[in-house]
Amino acid sequence: MGLFDRLANIFGLRKKEVNVLVVGLNNSGKSTVINHFKREEERCIDIVPTVGFNVEKFAFKNVHFTAFDMSGHDRYRSLWEHCYKDCQGIIFLIDSSDKLRLVVAKEELDMLLQHPDIIGRKIPILFLANKMDLLDSLTTVKLVAGLGLERILDKPWHIRATNAVNGEGLQPAIEWLTDQIRDIYINKR
Amino acid sequence: MNSFKRDKKEEEDGGGNPFQNMEKTTVLQEARTFNDTPVNPRKCAHILTKILYLINQGEQLGTTEATEAFFAMTKLFQSRDVILRRLVYLGIKELSPIAEDVIIVTSSLTKDMTGKEDLYRAAAIRALCTITDGAMLQAIERYMKQAIVDRSPAVSSAALVSSLHLTSISGDIARRWANEAQEALNSDNVMVQYHALGVLYQARKTDKHAVTKLVSKLTRTSMTSPYAACMLIRMACKLLEEEDGNGELLDFVASCLRHKSEMVVYEAAHALVNMGKSSTRELAPAISVLQLFCGSLKPALRFAAVRTLNKVAMSHPAAVTACNLDLENLIADPNRSIATLAITTLLKTGAESSVDRLMKQIATFVSEISDEFKVVVVQAIRALCQKFPRKHAVLMNFLSAMLRDEGGLEYKAAIADTIIAVMEGNSEAKEAGLAHLCEFIEDCEHISLAVRILHLLGQEGPTSKQPSRYIRFIYNRVILECASVRAAAVTALARFAAACPPLLPNILVLLSRCQLDSDDEVRDRAAYYCAILQQQFDPTTLSLVQPPLLSIPSLERALNNYVSSPMEEPFDISQIPPAQTVEEPTQPEILATAKQQQSRLSREETFMEKLAQVPQLALVMSKSPLFKSSPVVELTESETEYNVKCVKHSFSNHLVLQFDCLNTLSDQLLEDVRVAIEPPEGYRVVYEIPCLRLAYNEPGTTYTVLEFPEDVHASIATIPTTLRFMARDCDPTTGVPDAEQGYRDEYMLEDLEVTLADQMRGVGKQGVDFNAAWDAGATRGFSELEETFVLGASVTTLEGAVQSLVGFLGLEAVERSHRVATDAVGHTLLLGGIFRGGKEVLARARLALADSQVTMQLSVRSSDPDVAELVTSSVG
Ligand SMILES: Nc1nc2c(ncn2[C@@H]2O[C@H](COP(=O)(O)OP(=O)(O)OP(=O)(O)O)[C@@H](O)[C@H]2O)c(=O)[nH]1
Ligand SMILES: [Mg+2]
Repeated sequence: MGLFDRLANIFGLRKKEVNVLVVGLNNSGKSTVINHFKREEERCIDIVPTVGFNVEKFAFKNVHFTAFDMSGHDRYRSLWEHCYKDCQGIIFLIDSSDKLRLVVAKEELDMLLQHPDIIGRKIPILFLANKMDLLDSLTTVKLVAGLGLERILDKPWHIRATNAVNGEGLQPAIEWLTDQIRDIYINKR
Repeated sequence: MNSFKRDKKEEEDGGGNPFQNMEKTTVLQEARTFNDTPVNPRKCAHILTKILYLINQGEQLGTTEATEAFFAMTKLFQSRDVILRRLVYLGIKELSPIAEDVIIVTSSLTKDMTGKEDLYRAAAIRALCTITDGAMLQAIERYMKQAIVDRSPAVSSAALVSSLHLTSISGDIARRWANEAQEALNSDNVMVQYHALGVLYQARKTDKHAVTKLVSKLTRTSMTSPYAACMLIRMACKLLEEEDGNGELLDFVASCLRHKSEMVVYEAAHALVNMGKSSTRELAPAISVLQLFCGSLKPALRFAAVRTLNKVAMSHPAAVTACNLDLENLIADPNRSIATLAITTLLKTGAESSVDRLMKQIATFVSEISDEFKVVVVQAIRALCQKFPRKHAVLMNFLSAMLRDEGGLEYKAAIADTIIAVMEGNSEAKEAGLAHLCEFIEDCEHISLAVRILHLLGQEGPTSKQPSRYIRFIYNRVILECASVRAAAVTALARFAAACPPLLPNILVLLSRCQLDSDDEVRDRAAYYCAILQQQFDPTTLSLVQPPLLSIPSLERALNNYVSSPMEEPFDISQIPPAQTVEEPTQPEILATAKQQQSRLSREETFMEKLAQVPQLALVMSKSPLFKSSPVVELTESETEYNVKCVKHSFSNHLVLQFDCLNTLSDQLLEDVRVAIEPPEGYRVVYEIPCLRLAYNEPGTTYTVLEFPEDVHASIATIPTTLRFMARDCDPTTGVPDAEQGYRDEYMLEDLEVTLADQMRGVGKQGVDFNAAWDAGATRGFSELEETFVLGASVTTLEGAVQSLVGFLGLEAVERSHRVATDAVGHTLLLGGIFRGGKEVLARARLALADSQVTMQLSVRSSDPDVAELVTSSVG
């Protein structure tokens, strides 16, 4: 390690790397959201349902994110828990127009919160009420109630309505997550 | 850098392999490091290498172990290290057959394959295709098509080759991607062009017409890729093999002899000399190309040339003599393989006088060459023995010296095979051959070979000049060897006892000692033979000691049927078809290494299984076992709307006609398909079993059961046949028929012949003494008929006469009498077997050749006078 690196480390200027986990039911828009965070020239043009998972990298406010974009298809949901241990933040996507499967989303969320690798950890969770542009989409208030988010007391969480297609709402959302991660992990180090 | 230094030091210490003494469980434990964040690429790459090393060393991973390692490995996708990522691809490929749920990396691999990092793309495609199953195929199809036409040759090649691999998952992949492959064929990269041609061929493989079109189109453009040109030559040759008389294709192959790439020139020469049909004159240009290569500076070219010449020398020795001088030069080649091939080629083309000199030259280095090339030497000697029978003593000695040398099973078996072949072809060599083999089994570490030789001794020894001298060798085996060899030795002893009465008392003493053996099988055999041999000697004992090789499944079925019958009559063993014996190929090309491929089930056994699946046939099958199944008879031309093939199954009193039908019209569904026949006089149609549904390209079978006529003379007949069915139009893509009613239609087929050969077969008693059986026939009241024929103009040689007679009668040649000595003008063919219903038939054909015309005196003895008459009358 060079002298500069050591100095940088002391002053908290070192390149910060964090892992975030992106989960939510299939078709909720996870891959579309991540794609939006990437630099313009790295984005893909067409997004297809994810099989298994994908690892994507992007940076925001000098924090380097490694995002695990998991598949939301029920066949692969069991993969999520393999990544719980090593992540410093979670992005949970909800398709706010999919009222029918809101209970399924709640069930998955409850399982996540009760998992040994998550329970009791102060890990920030960012909820994205995606597809806000669709006509009959639920409001964030309704989603908080529907998912029972007020029960989450030991973790910082935040919910935000977004439109992953044009990026509306994503900027403040990721800003919140970055600040949380910075507070909890980086500044403490 | 550090590790490099260490490795070097270890090397000096003599501890070469850094991966030595690894333990699977420890390494898999280490794989947990993959889960650490951030990923340490160097450490992980090292561990992953260890895992790959273990798998490649043949270490078996359990499903759970593999799945865990695989999951851990997927974490490595977060690292951007190129080396690590490429190792991950390898890991995916190695673990995918064992681990579960491997398709979870699909998206990650698709991303890499379509991404910007060129170092990832080709390898990601290969990994992706190994994890793809039928269900996922559609999801990646679009990417694969794009990759095939990608600008990067590596990506394009990887996609093309992967699509060939994917055909094992979905047969029509190549066809679906043919357009892209066609575009890739225009690539100026040599590999891409080659791989694209491979895919295009795969797409058309089943459609000969389309292949012909592809080949003739491409032969007119010139391929820039030498690999593609080689492949095109192979495709052309395959077509030429199937249909002769396509001058254009032959011209193309010949023109490739002037190609600028040596590879293509060699391929063309190789193709021309292997075409089989080529005459010596047509071979000349190919041979001169090979001759040129013999003088090349590149060892690989010299090797290829001399190896090919060696092969040609077997079929066309005269054509190769032109190269003798070049071959002489190669004897001193520093590469021993080239030298061996050169000498053995010369042995085939040279004169008898040069044999001794060449053999001496080989002897100087035979111990230095590998087994594979020793086999080549053995092959050459085998050919020499046939060519120069007078040299057999020299050659036999050489062989027995080789037999005493070190060598693997294949090599030793090749020598033993050669000695046996020489003995069979040359009665003078028999005594010496047996002596060499006896000596060999004294010290033979290959059990299977020892067993085979003991079997041979048991068969050939009793008729040698002095049978008693073999007993000691055989009995030594009983004392010294393992159980399976001991058991074979006991059987061999028993054969001597049964065939040579003077030896009986002594052998009985030996056999009674064997009854004390520690092994069950050996004891059982000894007890069995003692019991039989102690009974009074009569000729039937021989067949008990040396039972005919019957088809075991048929025997089992017949015994089952017999046990469930009232069992009033004694069981008739003559009904049981013999086990299939594999005839050695009698082509000019003698391959000492050609392993006898023993198919486990004979034709009849396989058909029996198939027929037993049809419930309506149960009645016929319960009455008698399947007697014989004919070869397939085509009742339609090959490229017609409907394709019908027939197999005739003969039973004692019934004839079951199996019609295999194929509907090649995609817009038609056939229902209630049957083959209507007009029964010839005396025959009776018992019933038909129609095929209810015959969809496009799905084979279906209908059966017709006939009863043979009372009068055997009427059994040989011609049967007119017609295909009858209900046709319904249907959607060609889905195969769903239209709602409207179908219409009845019919289609004329070729006539079907019921022949003598359908009703007679051998009994698998290769070792029978024909004369004894012939004489016994007379005393058992067989009727005899004798007639003389002049064979037609199509038969001009003795071999031809033997072949056509054996084929016509369906009987089996005994005492190896189907082998005609070279240059003979007369020959006696001895045939034996049974007519359906268990009627024994013996036939003796005395053949004489004069002015390319064969005269035959045929004598037939049979337990049924009608059968004897039928045989003689149908020959005329
Ligand atoms: N109208 C609208 N469509 C969206 C929005 N976000 C995503 N989509 C669309 O929703 C579909 C699914 O998006 P993905 O990003 O593939 O969803 P995913 O969550 O990654 O799905 P899986 O990988 O199968 O788990 C795509 O067709 C997107 O274009 C949104 O905010 N508004
Ligand atoms: Mg996705």
